[in-house]
Amino acid sequence: MDDFLWRAILGAALLGAAAGPIGCFVLWRRMAYLGESVAHIGLTGVAAGLLLGISPVVGVVVLAIFAALTMARLGESARGLIPSGTIVGIVGHVGLALGFILLSTMDTVRADLLGYLFGDVLALSNREIYLIAAASLGLLAVVAALWRPLLALSINRDIAIAEGTRSGLADTAFLVLVACLVALGLKVVGALLIVALLLIPPAAARTFAHSPESMAIGAGLIGAASAPLGIAWAWYANAPAGPSIVLAAAALFLASLLVLQLRALLERRA
Amino acid sequence: MDRAPAESLIEASHLKVVLGGSPIIDNVSLAVRRGEIVVLIGPNGSGKTTLLRALLGLVSSQGEIRRAANLQVGYVPQQFPRDPSLPLSVARFVATTGASQARGDAALRRVGASGLARKQVATLSGGELARVLLARAIARMPDLLILDEPLAGVDVAGEAELYHLIAELRDELSCGVVLVSHDLHVVMAQASRVICINRHICCEGAADAVIRDPEFVRLFGARAASELALYTHVHDHTHRPSGEIAPREHAHG
Repeated sequence: MDDFLWRAILGAALLGAAAGPIGCFVLWRRMAYLGESVAHIGLTGVAAGLLLGISPVVGVVVLAIFAALTMARLGESARGLIPSGTIVGIVGHVGLALGFILLSTMDTVRADLLGYLFGDVLALSNREIYLIAAASLGLLAVVAALWRPLLALSINRDIAIAEGTRSGLADTAFLVLVACLVALGLKVVGALLIVALLLIPPAAARTFAHSPESMAIGAGLIGAASAPLGIAWAWYANAPAGPSIVLAAAALFLASLLVLQLRALLERRA
Repeated sequence: MDRAPAESLIEASHLKVVLGGSPIIDNVSLAVRRGEIVVLIGPNGSGKTTLLRALLGLVSSQGEIRRAANLQVGYVPQQFPRDPSLPLSVARFVATTGASQARGDAALRRVGASGLARKQVATLSGGELARVLLARAIARMPDLLILDEPLAGVDVAGEAELYHLIAELRDELSCGVVLVSHDLHVVMAQASRVICINRHICCEGAADAVIRDPEFVRLFGARAASELALYTHVHDHTHRPSGEIAPREHAHG
């Protein structure tokens, strides 16, 4: 294997490690829909970044954060007649459609579209890889720092606020975390698949976790492990790397379900 | 009691909560002092829970709410959806208050739930959850306990025991307690003060005075009234079917 392959694995693994714990909160707070929509809007962010001549990553980060923060409040304008999940879904698909149209007007980008939709970690420059790796570590540090309020709000929002948890700060920080992760993941597993990294590792970790901490760490490890497994498979089978990482995570999820079944079977025998 | 009035923990004046265009709570003023058990009663939809949520800052309200400095609040909500996707043992749940392990264990023991420490919160029965939520609230060493139908799911025998426990906890923690409940009989025995609410405060005072109030009788029906001594005095207002206040011409007699 080449050096750049190892760097790609490192970047993707750190991204997966950050996605695991953040994904736990996405799961506990039932916000998968929001993550998906932010990812779809990311495509418009790429287009906007390219059109304005700034880095696509910057465009995604800015638009994803803006989208995450506004969508959470957009539901209020419907005065409770339309579920917030539906509003989030509408905005996300508008973002996907708009991004697709904008990108298709740019001839040089059209060939690259699949890369934005499904990621292309092996096409990343060293600089991009290091950026993803460093930012992922930063996201992990923020999650660790906000662990207590985020967990309290996930366990029971009313109790947490009644007891003095500053929900506004934690909620905003969490949305920014999700937006940043989505932006970082756009070139690794793509706008259509990044949410898989937020969902699958926590689901797999849930099968063996007995505490929120062990679930978050387990999800981080599973997310990280998906990268070398997926990229190795992509390399040998000549398959696209992003989808391969997602399939590797899914394989780990299936394995965790099998272990769960086996354990239940053994316990019944005993 | 002829002691000087104890420290006021929370004071609300002219509180109004509007949800979906209509007022759920209107012009409610109340104060809770240290050492007091204030029981909120009222029919379904009378705004009891909304009033508690307003006091806790969980719904936005008009009017003024003053809290004592550094007020520690312990809160048991009416509903606690259990989430199987979040692995959480009872001991860990109690520890989210920041209480030490020893204090958490003591709180669980106090409510008779020490056997539950290693169980997962998502697998608790309704009665077990009620005890755990109460243990969690007292592990914070609160100045003010706010309990919204805290004993839903507890059987009748356990209920009487736990209401008695709440009165003991009030003494041990020397905290104030605000309690919403439907179980009038048991609750009344422990209350320092009863506030009967139906969007606004209908009547309030010592339990034996409130249960004689015609407004109480009207709200809770003849059956509840027949079990309690009844004496009438003229009330200063009556309710239209919509719940609006219709002033009466004569004053209290």
